[in-house]
Amino acid sequence: MIKFSNIFKSFSPANEVLQNISFEINSGELIFVTGSSGAGKSTLIKLISALEKPTSGEIIFEDQNLSDLSNIDMPYLRRKFGMIFQDHKLLFDRNCFENVALPLSINDTTSVDINRRVRAALNKVGLLDKEKVMPITLSGGEQQRLAIARAIVSRPSILIADEPTGNLDKKYADDIMNIFYSFQQVGVTVIISSHEAPQSPIKFKELHLINGELGNKDVPLLS
Amino acid sequence: MIAVIGITLCLPATGFLLVKNASQLSSKIEYDAQISVFLSKDISDDQIEFIGSTLKQSNLVKNLHFEPKLKAWEKLQTKLKLNSLDAGISENPLPDAFFVTLNSLDTAVIESLHDDIQNLEGVNEVIIDSGWIKKLRSILYLIKVALFVLATLLAIVLIVVIGNTIRLQTLTYQNEIELSRLIGATDSFIQRPFIYTGIFYGLGGSLVNAGLLTVIIEIFNRIAYKFEHILGGSIVLYNLSLNEYLLLAALSMIIGLFASYYAASQSLKKIKKNF
Repeated sequence: MIKFSNIFKSFSPANEVLQNISFEINSGELIFVTGSSGAGKSTLIKLISALEKPTSGEIIFEDQNLSDLSNIDMPYLRRKFGMIFQDHKLLFDRNCFENVALPLSINDTTSVDINRRVRAALNKVGLLDKEKVMPITLSGGEQQRLAIARAIVSRPSILIADEPTGNLDKKYADDIMNIFYSFQQVGVTVIISSHEAPQSPIKFKELHLINGELGNKDVPLLS
Repeated sequence: MIAVIGITLCLPATGFLLVKNASQLSSKIEYDAQISVFLSKDISDDQIEFIGSTLKQSNLVKNLHFEPKLKAWEKLQTKLKLNSLDAGISENPLPDAFFVTLNSLDTAVIESLHDDIQNLEGVNEVIIDSGWIKKLRSILYLIKVALFVLATLLAIVLIVVIGNTIRLQTLTYQNEIELSRLIGATDSFIQRPFIYTGIFYGLGGSLVNAGLLTVIIEIFNRIAYKFEHILGGSIVLYNLSLNEYLLLAALSMIIGLFASYYAASQSLKKIKKNF
């Protein structure tokens, strides 16, 4: 589904963030991008979600070379991803419902559909009773769940999360992880970046980054 | 914001209104162009009669007056009170002349008539005497050109004002724009609300302008009415026609569209650079 071949990425000539990264992600897999801070996790996530372009190398997404894609086609590609950002990127001048509805309004979904799908997404993350609440009043874990609801509302086939549990305590983090697992169970490809791979009850693939290079190891836990 | 646009529009619109009224007034003035036809000195009476009848036949001629040289000479002498003048001058230096009043003010028609008369045998000189109305019209034309320049400058001002306002709005919505881009909004989707705002500013501004102009005209007409007896006749300003207002609205909406499109796409470019 997604194939990286010999990807290099640098923001300045002296500073190679990613070096010679090659891997393949198949549909329906659970992927953890791990590594310590500054290892290049966020950059790799941005490359996967086509927010950044590689300095050199080739990214194939669904049989399409991303470097061939024009800037006009980029937005349509991005709609295929459900993105969960490190800093949530919630809009604090809008209530929960409106935050989740944003991707749908970009897709020109009809308002009846919007209502139905936003409620379904909020229900999935357990925030249905807070649809009229402003996000600033939510706890950190709830904000994260709201961000997840926004990512899944357009039913993407790939869910990409950048450190979704970074600053949550263990109980909340487990909740969030269980939400991701449940999506993987229904066939969604889930890509999560995190300091270290968690004790996952399901099989996953790990892309371990060390100083911008891939120490590739497949760690099948419980099969 | 809309008030600013309205007032900016109001300046050239008021100017245009004044010029329009003035040119309407100038065309209404009962003024007849005159041409003076001076004949050659050695002309025979037959020729004079022929020229006179030719002039009479023209349908442009409203009134024809023949002044023989002797009479003109006497007139000049009484005017100058110089009875001794003929002492130095042996013969009458003045020619016979026709004074023709025309029923047209059209410069082209008068010019062609002028050429026709000039070509008649025995005609020495033809002078068109419609100078002052011509001057008035050319002054009005000049003012029109000046107004056009002013309007162009103010259009640029409008573009800057609207563009700047839209740019500030994009800053206010920066988070939303950034997020929308990240989750797959096209550029045109992001720009659309800002462009609508720009067009709305244009429309609102032209409405404010229409209101302002109407008030100005009303006030002017009331004051002019009070002074009617002093001015010896009423001066009434007429408002712009509906078509002219529609044109103005369309123009300012186009300006709004252009300015907001430019501002929004510039801001978007800047935001794109940020990540």
